[in-house]
Amino acid sequence: MNQSKHAPVVVGVGTTKFASERPDGNIRDLMAEAVLDCMADADLENLKAVQHGLTSYESDHFNRQMTLGAVLHDQIGLTPLPNVRIEGGGATGALALRTAWAHIQSGLCDSILVYGCETNGKGISSKTANQLFALSADFDWEMMVGGTYTAFYAAMIRAHMKQYGTTEEQFAHVAARNRSNALLNPIAQRGMDVSIDDVMKSIPIAEPYKLLDCSLLSDGAAVVLLSTEDWARQHSPKFKDRPAVHFTGTGCGTDTMRLGDRYPDITNFRGKQAAAQQAYQMAGIKDPLQEIDVAELYDSYSGVEIQAVEDLGFVNHGEGGPRIAEGMFDLDGQLPANTSGGLMGRGAPVGATGIVQAIEIVEQLWGQVDERRQVANAKRGLTDTHAGVGTMCVVNIFERQD
Amino acid sequence: MSEGQVKSKFDVQTIETTGHDPWADFREVEKLSLEFTQQYRHSLGKYSKFFIELENKKFLATQCGKCEKVFAPPRPLCPDCLDITIWKELAGTGTLETYSVIHFSPGTNDDVRQLETPYVLAYVLLDGASTLFPHVLKTDLDSIEMGMKVKIEYTDEPVDHPIHLMHFVPLEDE
Ligand SMILES: [Zn+2]
Repeated sequence: MNQSKHAPVVVGVGTTKFASERPDGNIRDLMAEAVLDCMADADLENLKAVQHGLTSYESDHFNRQMTLGAVLHDQIGLTPLPNVRIEGGGATGALALRTAWAHIQSGLCDSILVYGCETNGKGISSKTANQLFALSADFDWEMMVGGTYTAFYAAMIRAHMKQYGTTEEQFAHVAARNRSNALLNPIAQRGMDVSIDDVMKSIPIAEPYKLLDCSLLSDGAAVVLLSTEDWARQHSPKFKDRPAVHFTGTGCGTDTMRLGDRYPDITNFRGKQAAAQQAYQMAGIKDPLQEIDVAELYDSYSGVEIQAVEDLGFVNHGEGGPRIAEGMFDLDGQLPANTSGGLMGRGAPVGATGIVQAIEIVEQLWGQVDERRQVANAKRGLTDTHAGVGTMCVVNIFERQD
Repeated sequence: MSEGQVKSKFDVQTIETTGHDPWADFREVEKLSLEFTQQYRHSLGKYSKFFIELENKKFLATQCGKCEKVFAPPRPLCPDCLDITIWKELAGTGTLETYSVIHFSPGTNDDVRQLETPYVLAYVLLDGASTLFPHVLKTDLDSIEMGMKVKIEYTDEPVDHPIHLMHFVPLEDE
């Protein structure tokens, strides 16, 4: 099923600056800031023609506030429009966009504002933050035995290392490259110029993962306005001024909560393979390495990017490490990945993560990112986002129509 | 401070701005510290027999009568067949399939024990099981090897959660 002819278009995008702490505002303020940025991007004076809202956030705990869907919908002036709140763990933002895709494709509405945010930074202690994230593991069987998310991912990459000979230096390449890319992204939380050696020598967190193999806790918000092409032409003066970007494919795959229940398939993300196949079929993609020009990959830990390029079908299983180390996914490589800096450098406020990944892709396709990270003539891009240890995976595809 | 004025105990920060600032009127930000604790009556449901038998130093898995898969951790319902499983005792020996040495742990909850770092989170294929069971492996860190044989060791010490009645140790050659 190739839906791209009628696929929703991206009308506008907006973000805040990402940071470990935004002392100048709370989650409501960040949401407002990103929405104003989106209105400026689409050259909209107000949002009165928008027909639907969609709130994307993961956790009620970080703000001592349930029903943030209602709070934020009100904050940005969308009442009395219909609204829906989406939660999908780490994949929340990507699942929100996928849900918005279905809202438009079904004809339920012609336009929908997808707004996501999270304050995972310093609003609570990092100990409490990690305890809260641990609640998204299986409490009695994984968390109470002393499990941590870093350790689950570490056990997975160790199995990958044993099966395929993947090395720590290979995933350190991801940690160094994504932080370096973030230096070119003005909204990024923490760009850094670090060497593979620096990554290798950083303190161990859960072996084989070290401090610089881990991604960031962030405050931030991101907004995408999606609509039918007709709605965009009618309501956004900016729409005709830049190439139309269509949301042409979306896939979602799941796997067992616990890594151990997937035995013997514990080296890779089966849910990601399923999500990618659905998205490729929908977007009419047969050879993803050749047909995708830029990708935002879910680098929650550096080795996860190695597993992702395999599960997304860019390279064969077992080749992810060597191809990454050779630079295939660097800015000057065959398929630049995480040009934004990824979760490692740009940051990852959970409910905004999948949305800001899409924003990086859309801005790449529009040709409007910093020229030092702009992928020349990028026509089609992909986002890869997941929850848990690949417990739910979402792949979204955007394409420029020339 | 004038008579009758209450000194704020809260933390107020004035954000510095430069150039044109659309939020110039909103640059004082106040913060407060809040605590929030919860108490649960946490049910172990149909998994309970596993935990109850740990006190008797027995390790129970469940088995599906249809596909014969053996689940450790147990599942009351086979996810492949949607058949209700039956309990099956395992010997408690197995093989280390993968692991991580944890150097930083945020702890689980304040009301349960904290593990001293570094410690090992091990994924063990118990003999007779079809899935991996995650738990702490107590061993000399230098002696860990993928594929090593391990066994369950039980404890008689009081614990906060019954899963702590067991852990893994290396299986010595006999
Ligand atoms: Zn069965």
